[in-house]
Amino acid sequence: MNITRFFIALAALLLGIGLIAPTLTISPMAGELTWLVRILAPEELVPSTYSILGVIGKLYQGNDFFLVLLLSLFSVLSPILKLSFFWQASSQSYQQENSNSLFKVIHYVGKFSMAEVFALALIIVVVKSFPGGSSAQLEWGAYIFTCSVACSIIASIRIEKKDRNKALQ
Amino acid sequence: MTSISDFDAPKPPPWMGALVPFLIVLAAAGFYWFLTSDKEKSPIDLDSSQEVKLSGKLSNGQTYYIFASEIEVYPTNLENEAWDRGEKGPDIRYRILWKGNAVFESVTKGDSLIADWSGLSIELNWKDLLGKSVSPDDVIKAGRVRFDENETIEIVVQDVDIASDDDVGRKEILLNGLSIGKNVIRLKKSPANAIRRITLRILPIGSNLQDLANIMK
Repeated sequence: MNITRFFIALAALLLGIGLIAPTLTISPMAGELTWLVRILAPEELVPSTYSILGVIGKLYQGNDFFLVLLLSLFSVLSPILKLSFFWQASSQSYQQENSNSLFKVIHYVGKFSMAEVFALALIIVVVKSFPGGSSAQLEWGAYIFTCSVACSIIASIRIEKKDRNKALQ
Repeated sequence: MTSISDFDAPKPPPWMGALVPFLIVLAAAGFYWFLTSDKEKSPIDLDSSQEVKLSGKLSNGQTYYIFASEIEVYPTNLENEAWDRGEKGPDIRYRILWKGNAVFESVTKGDSLIADWSGLSIELNWKDLLGKSVSPDDVIKAGRVRFDENETIEIVVQDVDIASDDDVGRKEILLNGLSIGKNVIRLKKSPANAIRRITLRILPIGSNLQDLANIMK
């Protein structure tokens, strides 16, 4: 297995774990009434931890279909699609047969390299703006997810480099 | 006898390779899920099992908490005179009458043209800090009424004085016209009324505390 493919496989592995692993802990608050809720119903203020898929599921339950679509697209579908293209582009035979069209796609898909991080940031912004002083904290799943993004960036750089070298020859 | 060499073996279509990352993602997610699914505690279900309407019109037969979160009075009393001697404002208190009975009486808010009540009040002792549980009914300072068609309540507002309490006004309210949450009722000054505005809050009994807290905000 070449190094580029190793990074793609690693990115896919980390992505799989990152989608399921705890990513975000939300600590709910009830604004000025937090003290009261803490006395009367402390279970209402227990922090909840979600994975990325968990957040999407929660948003779906809340009928926030736009955010469901946005997050599914940028944090699940786009990264998988991107890695699939990278895998295909790193294949020697495929490079020879379809180099032009595929590298165009790779350039295009590469623009979404940081889209996953944007999606994660979006989740935090959404939660940060919850009323009542609720807060969000990143969990280790978020770092796994970020490592996946980093691996896919490395893979894309290696593919582009190979493409450039090929063009120069 | 024929043998198929690697050279002769049918080649998979080129796009098949693109499935590899997808399968790795699926396998990693599935494996992680398999490892952790037993350990995960079931999250606390924040949604109450009880289905209680938290907005809109009142439902027949349902019991509600009702209280005035704000009452504003006109600057002068029923006789168009200053409320209290000197420059002091009225000391406002209200009662809720339902079926002719007083079902709630508020605490008195001194020297104010706009008096407000939170609907929540709790008196904590040292022993409460040691884990005593308090029922929501103990802390919600509101009347309880059951909604039926064409049912009415009456809000009686008074200016509390040492000698005698003066009437500020009273308003009979048809429950059909009220909604869960905030209801603002504006009134005109008349010889029998010096109430400018009543903000009523209606909360369904049986909803969870967080919902109640949100409605009260």
